[in-house]
Amino acid sequence: MSNPLSVLIVEDEALLAVELGFLVEEAGCVEVGHALDSAVAVQMAGRLKPDIALVDVHLADGPTGVDAAREIVAHHGAMVLFMTANVKRLPDDLAGACGVIGKPYTDRAVRRALTYLAHCLERGCADAPPPPGLTLSDSYAARWGVQPLEKTA
Amino acid sequence: MSERRDTFRAESLLTPRAGIDDPFAAAVHATRMSMIIADAQAPDMPIVFANDAFLALSGYPRDEILGRNCRFLQGPDTDPEAARRLAQAIADGAPVNVDILNYSKDGKPFWNALQISPVHNAEGLLVYFIGSQIDVTARKNAENRLVADREGLVSAATEQARAAEQAVAERTALLHEVDHRVKNNLQLISSLLVLQTRRTEDQRTRVALQSMLSRVSAIATVHRRLFQSRDLERFDVAAFVRDLVGDVSLSRDEVEVDLDLQSIEIAAAQAAPLALAVNELLDNAFAHGLAEGRAGRLGVRVQRQNGHYVIEICDDGPGLPPSGQFAPGFGLTIVGLLAQQLRAELRFEPTTPGVRAILELPVNA
Repeated sequence: MSNPLSVLIVEDEALLAVELGFLVEEAGCVEVGHALDSAVAVQMAGRLKPDIALVDVHLADGPTGVDAAREIVAHHGAMVLFMTANVKRLPDDLAGACGVIGKPYTDRAVRRALTYLAHCLERGCADAPPPPGLTLSDSYAARWGVQPLEKTA
Repeated sequence: MSERRDTFRAESLLTPRAGIDDPFAAAVHATRMSMIIADAQAPDMPIVFANDAFLALSGYPRDEILGRNCRFLQGPDTDPEAARRLAQAIADGAPVNVDILNYSKDGKPFWNALQISPVHNAEGLLVYFIGSQIDVTARKNAENRLVADREGLVSAATEQARAAEQAVAERTALLHEVDHRVKNNLQLISSLLVLQTRRTEDQRTRVALQSMLSRVSAIATVHRRLFQSRDLERFDVAAFVRDLVGDVSLSRDEVEVDLDLQSIEIAAAQAAPLALAVNELLDNAFAHGLAEGRAGRLGVRVQRQNGHYVIEICDDGPGLPPSGQFAPGFGLTIVGLLAQQLRAELRFEPTTPGVRAILELPVNA
């Protein structure tokens, strides 16, 4: 991959964030920052211009991940991937996010999802259905030409 | 005037010594049925006669009644609709029956089952209204109590339904909260194991930690699957196996996977032990039959057969030792224990080449 994806981690559990940082590097991406709450997340997205933000729904300032994701997608041009135990609580349009990984996830699932998303971003289309554990939003599935599958996240 | 009175024998009724010579007039005076007569021709139709029963019912002395329109019996809680019906019938010269709330002289309300009939003379001229009153307060109160009881019952039932709805909503919210916490905690446990694995240099310890991570992940997958399904009580084994094999095999591109999964459902209580057992057998196949780097085939079958759920996991690796005897490691010890718990039979069969692990679970265990 010519340009590794830059990744912002938005997660209020410190241990999960550290572990996620390892997975990001292992997937060939670069972690550019870690935010614990929504305000810092939005501010970092504006300053660091990451390619993708991994966003939990429950943050240090409450269930603010969805709003933060909308803000980041709308104003800072980053792609958002939700990582949450609350998949059922996400809005139907996933707040503009490209997809969701349901917690609890496996390290393999996260690495594969990141590799897959990087590939799709680079090519502008998908050449395979999303790997297990990753569910794409309807709009990204359409954008990348993926048949919408059963929601498995 | 005298004409009218003649037609109704009213003369005898309306004189102070009424009834002395007239059995009909005497009967009207003495009956316990309350009765009044109003003059339909005089302005505002004044009462011209009231019997003793009426005096007893209304509490008024005769001299306070005669000459007045009988609407003085109405009061603050009299239903205006009942009063309107009454006035309308009288204006039409028509008979009317109406239950109306009246007030006695001391201000006490009573329910009056009022019947009014027009009386015409020989020429057809409306000359009197005769009214009879029955005190039906007891019946009305009973009716009202019934209505109130019924309304009370309905509102109690509504309240109960609302409370039940709220209880369900609270239970659902609680379930979501618990689900959320369990998932987050499982995630935390997984991440801790992964973090410690990263910091561990000793190869055997790393393998042990990775095995533990795999077990925790299997339980996490069960939890995710259970909560996704419509029915929290049932667990789809095929969907779980597809998830699990998908997760493991994707990191082993060189292994060819052959899935033959019939949809079978088991009770939720059996989900975790069965998932752990299947996970160990899969790990075992990857660790021995398809040891790291070796290209090969993995076959997984889930089906219902002869009253049993049969789960088969086969690899095409080096197979069992020639003796058929092998000392089970920790993983297979776990599978043995879980099989006992599930009342399942576990056996290993040689295949050419490789091993087939078979777990047979009675359908109604």
